[in-house]
Amino acid sequence: MADIVLDRVSKIYPNGVPAVREVSLDIKDGEFMIFLGPSGCGKSTTLRMIAGLESISAGQLSIGGERMNDVDPADRNIAIVFQNYALYPHMSVAGNLGFGLQLRHVPKAEIDRRIKDIATMLGITELLSRKPAQLSGGQRQRVALGRALVRDPKAFLLDEPLSNLDAKLRASMRTELIKLHQKLGTTIVHVTHDQVEAMTMGQRICIMKDGEIVQVGAPMEVYRNPANTFVAGFLASPPMNLVSGRLEHDQAGLAAVAGTARFVLPPALRDGYAAQSGNAVTLGLRPEDFHLSRGNVKLSQAVPVATVATEVLGPEVILVCELGGNGGPEVMVRCPRDFSASPGQPLTLHYDLSQIHLFDKTTGKVLSRPSLI
Amino acid sequence: MKRLARSIAPHLVLVVFSAIIVLPLLWVVRVSLTDKLTAYKIPPEIGSIGSMNYSAIFTSYPFTTWFFNSLIVALITTMIALPLATALAYVFARWNTGGVALRLGVLASQMLPPIILVLPLFAMFLMAGLMQSRISLIIAHLTICLPFLSWMLVSFFEGDVARLEEAARVDGATRWQAFIKIAVPVAAPGLLAAGLLGFILSWNEFLFALVLSGPDTQTLPVGLAGLETHAGVEIAPLAAATVVSLLPVFLLLPFLRKHLIKGLSLGALK
Repeated sequence: MADIVLDRVSKIYPNGVPAVREVSLDIKDGEFMIFLGPSGCGKSTTLRMIAGLESISAGQLSIGGERMNDVDPADRNIAIVFQNYALYPHMSVAGNLGFGLQLRHVPKAEIDRRIKDIATMLGITELLSRKPAQLSGGQRQRVALGRALVRDPKAFLLDEPLSNLDAKLRASMRTELIKLHQKLGTTIVHVTHDQVEAMTMGQRICIMKDGEIVQVGAPMEVYRNPANTFVAGFLASPPMNLVSGRLEHDQAGLAAVAGTARFVLPPALRDGYAAQSGNAVTLGLRPEDFHLSRGNVKLSQAVPVATVATEVLGPEVILVCELGGNGGPEVMVRCPRDFSASPGQPLTLHYDLSQIHLFDKTTGKVLSRPSLI
Repeated sequence: MKRLARSIAPHLVLVVFSAIIVLPLLWVVRVSLTDKLTAYKIPPEIGSIGSMNYSAIFTSYPFTTWFFNSLIVALITTMIALPLATALAYVFARWNTGGVALRLGVLASQMLPPIILVLPLFAMFLMAGLMQSRISLIIAHLTICLPFLSWMLVSFFEGDVARLEEAARVDGATRWQAFIKIAVPVAAPGLLAAGLLGFILSWNEFLFALVLSGPDTQTLPVGLAGLETHAGVEIAPLAAATVVSLLPVFLLLPFLRKHLIKGLSLGALK
C-alpha cells in the first residue's frame, strides 16, 4: 500500500531522444490510475521507470514517501504484468507463481499455501503443474496476474496486459481487474492505448502525448472537459467531431460558424467567449449531443445536415453526415437503433448548445468557458 | 504417371547428394576392414574382410595416446570456452558492450587464415615454455572456440529473454539471480548446442595441433596425418583410425540436432 509520486520525472535516452519530459503526477494509495496515449507517447517508459527497469534521467520518484530513483527493482516491492506475460518458460505454473516468494526466502509451506489461494482465486488450480507453453492466451494472462498477486506487493503495474487477448476475453478480463481492485484496494497503474479500457476501468486517467502529460482527471471529467483537441479526438468512440470554424457576431448575438452551419451561443456562454469574437476556432461537437427531435433539450440549435452514410452497430446507428448541408464538413452523429436514412437525404438535427466545446484553432487548447448549467 | 515422377524426382536428387556425402565414408569403412592392396583395386572388390587394422592401430601406433590427448584437449577447451562465451554473449546482448566494433573485433581473428596466427602463437608459447604441452593446445583452441561460441550465443540472450529477466528482477531477483535462474535455463538448449560445437571444433582442429604439439601431446588429426609417411600411405590402418576418431562426434550428433533445433525455436514462445 503506497502512493506513487512522480516529480518532474524525465527520461532521455543515451542518443539524446527524450522519451518522457518532466512528468509530475501523484498517484494516490489504492487508486486505479490509467496511463492512456498512442504508441510512443512515453506511457510505457514512465511505467518502466516506476518499476525500476528504466533509469530516471531527471526528477524524483517516490513510492510510499521513499525516494526510489536508485532503488533496485527487486527492492521496490511492486509487481508488473507485461503485455506478452513474460512467464518463465522452463518453470511450471506453480514455479512461476512461487518464484518471487522463493527469492524472498518465504518458507515452503507458506509458499504452497499462497500459490493455492491465488490459484483458487483465479481459477487456475488445475493448471499448476503445466508449463506456460501448454496454456492458452487467457490462461497465461491469469498466471501472469497471479504471479503479481501472490507477492502482495505495494502496487501493481500493468503494461497493456489485455492487448494480446481477443475482444471477448478482453471484456471479461476488464471486469475481473475492476473486481480485483475493489477486493484488494491496492494501487494499480494500468498502461493502455485503448480508450475503452481507460474509460471503464480507471478512477483517474492520465493522458500522455509526446512524452508529456496532456490531462489528468476522472474519466467523465476528462470526457466532459477535454483540455485540447488531442484529448477530445482520442476519448470515446466515435470521438468528438472537430470542425474548423470561427466566432462571429451577428444580429442574434455571438455564433460559432462552421461552413453554413451556425451555432448561436446561449447568453451564459456569450460573455465568456466575447473576447474571442472574430477568431478562428475549432468546434468540438460530441456525436451524442445531436438529437433527432428537440425533445427536452433546453438550449437547442437546429442544424441542417445531408446524410452521407449510416453505420448500423446494433444498439445504435452512427449517422455520417455533412454539417450545414451538401459540401459541409463531415461529422458523426449517434442515433437510436431504429434510425434510418438514405444517402443524400437532408435532415434537421438539434444540437445541445450547453455541450459545445471551442478550441483555439492554432494551439488546439480549449477556450476557457464559464461553467454552465 | 506424372504424380509418380513428381514423388520420385526429389528422392532421386536427394539420393545423389546423399551418395556424394556418404560414399567416401563408406569407402573409408570398407578400407578399414581390408588390406592396403585390396583397397586400391580397380574395379573394386570386397576381398578378405577382418578387423586386423583395428587391432593394429592400438598395437603398432600410439592411437590410445592420440585419442586421449584429443579428448582431454577438446573437453577442457569446451569447459573453459562455454562459460566465457556465455558471459561474452550476455554482455553483448544485454548491454551492447563495446558496440559493433568489439563484436566484430572478437570475430576478426577468425577472418585471418589460421596459418597466420600459428607463428605468433608458436613464438609466445616458446617464450612461456609451454611448447608441446596440452595447455598450449587448449589455449590455441580457445582462440577458435571463444569467438564462434560467443557469436552463436548472442541471439539466445536477445529478445524475449530480456523481458523474462525484467520480470524476474521485479519479482525480487538480483541481476545475477535473473541471469543464473532465468536467462541460463531458458538459453540452455543453445548453451548445449554451443558446447557440442566447441567440442567438435577442437576435436577436428589440425593446424594448431600440428605446430604446437609434441610426440606425447599429438591429437588424433595430427596422429592420423602421420600415417601418411615417406614410405607411402598406410591407408588401411589410417581408415580404421579415422573410423574410430569419428565415433565420439557421431555419438554427439543426435544431441546436437535435437537441441540446436529446440534452441532455434526458442523465440517462438510468447
